[in-house]
Amino acid sequence: MSDVLAQLAEVVVKGKIKEAKPLSEQALAQGIDAKDIIFNGLSKGMEVVGQKYEKKEYYLPQVLLSAQTMYASLDVVLPKLKVGSMGASGKVVICVVEGDVHDIGKNIVKAMLTGAGMTIFDLGRDVPIKNIIEKAKSEGVDIIATSTLMTPTLAGMKEIERMAKEGNMKPKVKTMIGGGATSKEFATQIGADAWGYDAIEAVKIASELIKNR
Amino acid sequence: MSNNMTPRDRVLAALARKKLDRPPAVCFTQIATIDAMEAVGVYWPDAHVDPHRMAELSAAPNKVWGVECARLPFCLTVEAEVMGCRVDLGKMDRTPMVKAHSCDENTIPDDIPIGALYKGRIPAVVEGVRIAKQKYSKELPIVAGTTGPLTIAGHMVGTENLLLWIITNPEAVHKALKVATKMEKAYVEALAKAGADVIVMSDPSAGTDMLSPEMFDEYAKPYIKECFSNPGDAKTVLHICGDTTVLLDHMVATGVSGLSIEEKVQPEKAVDIVNGRAALVGNIGVVRPLLQGTPEDVRLDALRVKNSGFNLVAPGCGLAARVPLVNLQAMVKAVKG
Repeated sequence: MSDVLAQLAEVVVKGKIKEAKPLSEQALAQGIDAKDIIFNGLSKGMEVVGQKYEKKEYYLPQVLLSAQTMYASLDVVLPKLKVGSMGASGKVVICVVEGDVHDIGKNIVKAMLTGAGMTIFDLGRDVPIKNIIEKAKSEGVDIIATSTLMTPTLAGMKEIERMAKEGNMKPKVKTMIGGGATSKEFATQIGADAWGYDAIEAVKIASELIKNR
Repeated sequence: MSNNMTPRDRVLAALARKKLDRPPAVCFTQIATIDAMEAVGVYWPDAHVDPHRMAELSAAPNKVWGVECARLPFCLTVEAEVMGCRVDLGKMDRTPMVKAHSCDENTIPDDIPIGALYKGRIPAVVEGVRIAKQKYSKELPIVAGTTGPLTIAGHMVGTENLLLWIITNPEAVHKALKVATKMEKAYVEALAKAGADVIVMSDPSAGTDMLSPEMFDEYAKPYIKECFSNPGDAKTVLHICGDTTVLLDHMVATGVSGLSIEEKVQPEKAVDIVNGRAALVGNIGVVRPLLQGTPEDVRLDALRVKNSGFNLVAPGCGLAARVPLVNLQAMVKAVKG
């Protein structure tokens, strides 16, 4: 790995947000491919962030700052990315289901999936189920990932399964769920393809789902 | 202590960590379900704004499933609304939510609004407590639910922003916390004066899913202490969601009478760690078993919590409106024997 990519990974890990843009420009100026910057710089950084979060060396504030740092770099790098070069890594539509506005967990999962090189369509929070299904269809995504922290909104996840089945989207499109109110049993019960305990598990699961498609 | 105690006596004795023949079965977090609403003909969202309906619904769960307290209000958005956040009051089966924040890094107010205690739904809740006190407190303890300072501050500026600023702009975090604390302290005093027996402050944003224990000590503990510095005769309880195993010592250090925690903490372990320094309230899972499990699942979990030595047996977090009645009845029955 080149020095500048190692530095970029370090910048993400340490959350040195102001250094993200100049360093990314420097990497591009050195002729490093945008895809390389993402996979060998930013992804490596986010992977370390994930490990530190798992070991409780990092808590949410540090993870959020690292994610912001990664996004600052992506702002520079993504426009230079060759169309189609990331295609194999999978497309994910992600959001918090209608009725819930707790989106920090969703944002962390989004950052981790972005860090893993996936293309993310983030619909935000409090999103009506039919909008999720429509977006999944129009973008031809591989995964629909939804979260909720609240219990009344669990019904929305069941509705996603129903609409995905009715629309003949399954098994091509996989569904995964997460968030405080969800559980592995609940995922099985409604017919979701996977459940993630936290953002770290979410990345592993999403990668598996895409590998096995 | 005998079986002739009123629920109020029993709950207050349990919070004082007195020896009892059995712990009370309570719900110190959101208590109203559809069955309780139907029993008294009072529904959300009306009950969030009308003090008479609020008081009536607060005691309905006692009638319907025998829980040993009245508890109000039914959300965590009262303070945030007074601080200028836009709140959607929800539906019959959906709790109110903060829809829009009130300020950013540069516009955090120095003080609470003038006449804050007369704004938003604060007068309704204070009056609701007063009515509940008159109508029910011979039998039932009146439990008032409030929001912790970190959660209020998060509502004001956005929780994600607040967490990020802990690293990038700690001064802004402290500024938001100071004004949130001022709001909460005044509100706690008003609720105590109105006759609340117990004030439960929920601070979900101060949990270990959000902060390290060290951050809790800097950004939550001193402010929680300040909010509860003048509770009058009311007992104080701190509720924090998630796995609070490593946080229990820090929660005890806030000086509250009781700690209300979720099922992600092993009950035996919680009793072991807290070791009589505060009353323990909890910690039956609200999703599993209460919402999605069977009465038998609930009975087993309730017995485990009771036998572990919790001072008060309760759901570990706020009830969803559609928690089945049979499960709530099973919880109370298991505790009362």
